[in-house]
Amino acid sequence: MPYMLHFFLFIAFPVVFSIVLTFHKWNIIAPMQYTGLANYIHLFNDAFFWKSLGNTLIFLAIHIPLQIIVALFLAEVLNQKIKFRGFFRAAFFLPVIVSGVVVTILWQQLYGFDTGLFNRILTSVGFSKIGWLTDPSWAMPSIAIMATWKNVGLYIILFLVGLQTVPAHYYEAAELEGANHMQKFFNITLPMINPTIFMVVILSTISGFSLFIEPYVMTGGGPLNSTLSAVLYIYKQGFFYYHMGYSATLGLFFALLILAVVAIQKKFIEKEQ
Amino acid sequence: MLLSLSCGGKSERNNNNLVYWSSNNQQEIEFAREVVNDWNKKNPDKKVTFQPVPEGQSSEEIILAAVVGKTTPDIYSNMWEGDVEDYAKAGVLVALDTLKGFKDFLYSRCDSAVIKEVTSPDGHIYQVPWKINPIMMMYNKNEIKNLGYENPPQDYSQFLDASKKFKKDLNGDGYVDQWFGYSEVLVTWWQRLFDFYPLYIAASNGAPLIENNKAAFDNKYGIEVFKFLQTLYQKNYFAKERLSVRQDVFLAGIIATRFTGPWEISHADKFKPAGLEYGFTHMPVPDDHKGPVYTYCDPKNLVIFKTCPDAQRAWDFVKFMTSKQNDLKLIEITNQLPRRKNLETDPLFVNYLKDKPKMMAFANQAKYVKGTDPYSNLTEVFDIISQEYEACVIYGKKTPEEALKEAAKQVNLLYLK
Repeated sequence: MPYMLHFFLFIAFPVVFSIVLTFHKWNIIAPMQYTGLANYIHLFNDAFFWKSLGNTLIFLAIHIPLQIIVALFLAEVLNQKIKFRGFFRAAFFLPVIVSGVVVTILWQQLYGFDTGLFNRILTSVGFSKIGWLTDPSWAMPSIAIMATWKNVGLYIILFLVGLQTVPAHYYEAAELEGANHMQKFFNITLPMINPTIFMVVILSTISGFSLFIEPYVMTGGGPLNSTLSAVLYIYKQGFFYYHMGYSATLGLFFALLILAVVAIQKKFIEKEQ
Repeated sequence: MLLSLSCGGKSERNNNNLVYWSSNNQQEIEFAREVVNDWNKKNPDKKVTFQPVPEGQSSEEIILAAVVGKTTPDIYSNMWEGDVEDYAKAGVLVALDTLKGFKDFLYSRCDSAVIKEVTSPDGHIYQVPWKINPIMMMYNKNEIKNLGYENPPQDYSQFLDASKKFKKDLNGDGYVDQWFGYSEVLVTWWQRLFDFYPLYIAASNGAPLIENNKAAFDNKYGIEVFKFLQTLYQKNYFAKERLSVRQDVFLAGIIATRFTGPWEISHADKFKPAGLEYGFTHMPVPDDHKGPVYTYCDPKNLVIFKTCPDAQRAWDFVKFMTSKQNDLKLIEITNQLPRRKNLETDPLFVNYLKDKPKMMAFANQAKYVKGTDPYSNLTEVFDIISQEYEACVIYGKKTPEEALKEAAKQVNLLYLK
């Protein structure tokens, strides 16, 4: 009974209400007005939404491969018998549990054009400064790098679990055949942890689609809308302009899009397995 | 938030007392507490219960949630003028001009321009002009003197000239790290209330942004302001970097001017390094500008919600709260100015302000201020302007003419819907 209450109150009702909203114009304080399919028509003609969707895809295109490469590399290192292994595992996980807002404020300082640590390092070795958050072509990659740093600890753990399921005798047999470290990695490790890789792809796709805190705090969606993510745009429509009907329409469309992407990924995984 | 307001709102009303919400900053809480205590002593049969607006991301969000949950206070004293029309259209505010004594009061407090500003397109008035924080140019007196000027820059040419002299690469790394001024580069709509909008009002002697449900800013003044600001960024006189995430750059001497309000005084006096002298002057204007220089005043007004059981009684309290004595108290406690005429000449206020030259500068400016136009959707209007501002002023991707034309086109579409 408590679960049913929770389900109807916090899941079923909001979902149904959001769908109803998509056919209305509502600014919260005035009564709803039925607008038929106007919100859906607007969605397909809204250049800002498509731009925000494109930005989100750019973020995913940078973030997911980077996340996998970095997490897998670090997991591989932390799977060896190195000194202070426990400390390093805990250290890499620490950013995962730190508040997203705190992390973004911290990185904003690191990315500072004039006083930021990264530009100080660049200029000290003779490179030009980069407008990490003020140059439209750098802003989204900068956010993707930060998001990778923040989340990599979680994926390291997942990869560590995957790595530890690979039977040790596979490596022993390969060694007897004279395989080097790279050959063992590409011919044993990678195929054996394929399910983990797919899981990481799915998880980071879902979390990447929900990109919000970073651009909201660091750039406000700028410069020139280059970091305006889909979720930030939906939020702005809803809570800056109180276009609740349109915001719900964007939200529904976006949810269906994520569902479709994840379904395709799932199909692909099943086929691979 | 909605739930908590829905559950908590009505329980605040004790013994038929009216409920008044003030802003939740410490000075305004102190002011409200004193005024309410005075009122309750003098009117034991018409008591008012006071509480600061509940904590939230912004008071605007809290008020919105209270409106939705029908848990609004009877009286609220921190309503941004630009929001009033949206609430008036939604039918949640009392038309104050229908209350006994309102018009006489308003005409004695405000001049005709202010009355026009707060009158809604439907002909009613839903707000009492209460307090303002005019936006002026704060400047570092020492630096202005070091640059060889007797006075701070008054027009665009003087401002650009001083900017050129002040801009420096202090550490010799090839990058500028000392700029003449700074304005927030974020595209967030309300940031334009502190750069484009006061400069536009100054250039145009208070022209509207919106008139007859159409954009009115695509004119020579808007273009001049965009050109001026664009030059500041193109020539690196203003930083594109977000300086606001650092220590106070004005007090650290990294910038020499700032567009700001009287709230800056207490902060600067508390934290300024020894020897730093600063002052305030009007916003820079085009070189051929004539007449007094207007500015935006960030007006916050008093409203009575329709959930109030006795609007006439609430109005009596509002009248008391905005009396001359209480307006003086507002300045004394909060360093904010009441929106009333003759502020700079009335002996009651002059006697207090004469020893405070910085506040006096704001009081003198208060005669030439403008709030927002009485139209709904102003958030979106400023957001549209802000998008074009970023493209044109900060990144130089469009000419001022193109940017303002596009912004006007989008704003006109907004009011057509």
